[in-house]
Amino acid sequence: MAKRVLVVDDAIFMRNMIKDIFASGGFDVVGEAANGLEAVEKYRELRPDLTTMDIVMPFKSGIEATREILKQDASAVVIMCSALGQESLVMEAIEAGAADFIVKPFRAEDVLAVVKKVLGEA
Amino acid sequence: MTIDMSKYLGLFVSEATEHLEALGRDLVALEREGEAGAIDSMFRHAHSVKGMAASMGFEPVARLAHRVEDLVDAVRAAPDRLDRELVDVLLAASDTLMAQVRDVARGSAPQEAHALLEQLSARLRDVTGRAPLPTRVARTVVHLQAAASADAHARPREEVEPVRRAPSRWALKFRVAPACQVPGVRAFLVHRRLAALGEVSELRPALEDLKAGRIPDGLVSLRLETSSSEEAIRTSLRNVPEVELEVLKAVEAPPPAAPVQDAGRAAEAEPGRTVKVRTEHLDYFLDAVGELMLATARIREVGKALPEGMRPPLEEGVYRLHALVKDLHDKVMTVRMTPLSVITDRLPRAARDIARKRGREVDLVITGADIELDRAILDVLADPLLHLLRNCIDHGIESPEERQAARKAPRGRVSVSVRRQRDRVVLELEDDGRGMDAAGLKAAAVARGSLSAEAAARLSDREALLLCCLPGVSTARDVSDISGRGVGMDAVKRSVEGVGGTLEIDSEPGRGTRFTLRLPLTVAVVQLLLVAVGDEVYGLPIAKVVGAVEADLAVLSRSRETALLPHGTGLLPVHPLAGLVGMEEATVGGVRPFVVVEAESGKVALAVDRLLGQEEVVLKALSRPLDRVPGLSGVTILGSGRPVFILDVPRLLAA
Repeated sequence: MAKRVLVVDDAIFMRNMIKDIFASGGFDVVGEAANGLEAVEKYRELRPDLTTMDIVMPFKSGIEATREILKQDASAVVIMCSALGQESLVMEAIEAGAADFIVKPFRAEDVLAVVKKVLGEA
Repeated sequence: MTIDMSKYLGLFVSEATEHLEALGRDLVALEREGEAGAIDSMFRHAHSVKGMAASMGFEPVARLAHRVEDLVDAVRAAPDRLDRELVDVLLAASDTLMAQVRDVARGSAPQEAHALLEQLSARLRDVTGRAPLPTRVARTVVHLQAAASADAHARPREEVEPVRRAPSRWALKFRVAPACQVPGVRAFLVHRRLAALGEVSELRPALEDLKAGRIPDGLVSLRLETSSSEEAIRTSLRNVPEVELEVLKAVEAPPPAAPVQDAGRAAEAEPGRTVKVRTEHLDYFLDAVGELMLATARIREVGKALPEGMRPPLEEGVYRLHALVKDLHDKVMTVRMTPLSVITDRLPRAARDIARKRGREVDLVITGADIELDRAILDVLADPLLHLLRNCIDHGIESPEERQAARKAPRGRVSVSVRRQRDRVVLELEDDGRGMDAAGLKAAAVARGSLSAEAAARLSDREALLLCCLPGVSTARDVSDISGRGVGMDAVKRSVEGVGGTLEIDSEPGRGTRFTLRLPLTVAVVQLLLVAVGDEVYGLPIAKVVGAVEADLAVLSRSRETALLPHGTGLLPVHPLAGLVGMEEATVGGVRPFVVVEAESGKVALAVDRLLGQEEVVLKALSRPLDRVPGLSGVTILGSGRPVFILDVPRLLAA
């Protein structure tokens, strides 16, 4: 069965791009969220196999959202989406329990390689 | 209930070794000088080793040490029985004990020294007329990981309960893929995964470097102490992208000891020993590595001019060279790290002297002196620290009578505490004395003309305290020969800022004062050529400077608007530095100096007003918003206290 993905990013452009990447890799994007608050709610509702999480978002940051999601579900797999220059934020997210990260600008094959590796499929 | 003693193994080895070394020295002294005190000392050393070995469950060690202890005790009661042969047998025993401890350090069980035990017993019977008592040894679980064959010896005769898997030590090495965009984050993720399994130590590069992505060749090595299995360690890294686990192997218990052939020479052969190195050599190493870095950068630049096809092998070599030099640089920086105790060790004596001279009673408490800093910083810090201590005792701490009148304990307290805070070291020197007088400092500064009355009124109390760092400003009522002449605090502040640190003062009247020094761990030292334009002074990194020439701008030939300076066989474009830094260009003619520097497009000549000379300075990074100004690469503070911007000429020209 295809793995279920929740995509969290405040930019529609990024969400669409990430969705396309996942679709091309045979994943099933089951939900989207545009900020940290929504992300936590959607996670509770959908229980996806994987969540991609932007870091800088309104209302609630990706790091905070990651922390809350992991509190709900310690087995949650959250992958941070970051830009170059956000290294310290990513490390903070890793300390909060993020499973891995991908660096913008994304290349489809890199994203899929990371995701598959993290999910133990590679 | 059995206790897992494994975690004490390292301590046992190092302490027992110290005792045994001392025992050997005492024996030699005893024989040479017939020193009676040596017997007591020997007894203590043998006794300590016996106790420790017994607690660890190392029977052969405990038994032998016990026999030595008994014999020394017997000799203490009958000194006339001490002869050459007895010293010989004791020396042999101390050598054997040392060898046993080394066995333990290597992870193998110590061997029983039957013949020697017999000899010692015979001597004991000879001296005292009685047989030795048996040795009691604790039943403990000590896991000696390295040598399974010898394990049986160390195993307790009975294990009361099943022991959970003992933590074992692993040596790990992993490589972050060269294509990884953020190697620091990648390595940090791996570090975090491993840290979740157990305790990570000996991380190379150090965590700060690793997080900053300073990972030579992408290689990270570490030790992991964990109760997890090898498979569990592998699994935890299996799903991490961009990382290759290169080495995972079990290592023996700490600290690893090198095999030693000659037991008597153990002291020299023991690993982990330190050697003293002249500080000039350390400075030289740092300079040389700095030069290597510059030379590497130069080769890389030259390589860019090569035809496409010839570049890859050169670039590969340069990359390798760069990684090696970077690694070497890190090592040199590590070697230069020196514990603060080097300078704080002399403070108690100084405190005592000052207190006596001024009729004060003071307790000095120093904590965190084992924290390490670059020795260049320590050198600079030594005098300021002493000065601050003097100030605290001389001006801060009241006389015992005054303190009692203020309902304080008659003994004052000065504490020096050091701690790491991220990539900085924070040193706090705090007293519980009378505090500083902010209003008085303002008045003193205004009286000296250092500050207008209006400006003084605008200062907060905390800001006002820093006025004591202005030359000549002091509120000390009397000028003693210790401090209070207002020279000194300015020097303290300048020294601290000179190494890239900051000084803060907090004070509460009647309660005390705290000086907080925030210091960088290391310094970056650069050679600058100082130049003046108008009233401003700028620094140009010497590495970029090709030379200096004098010429009259007015008589130079021009190509369109740009003046051209003859240099060597060619002509260099002239850029007035004043214009580049946004100042009015001087219109005065006549002969003036030009600095020839390397820029992106080749050499250029910078027209300046004056050359002020060369200086070695400590580079400080710019913080926001100054780091956004193109063309500035850093700032430094000259010996005179004047801040000077360091120019990045290529970027300045491009801006």
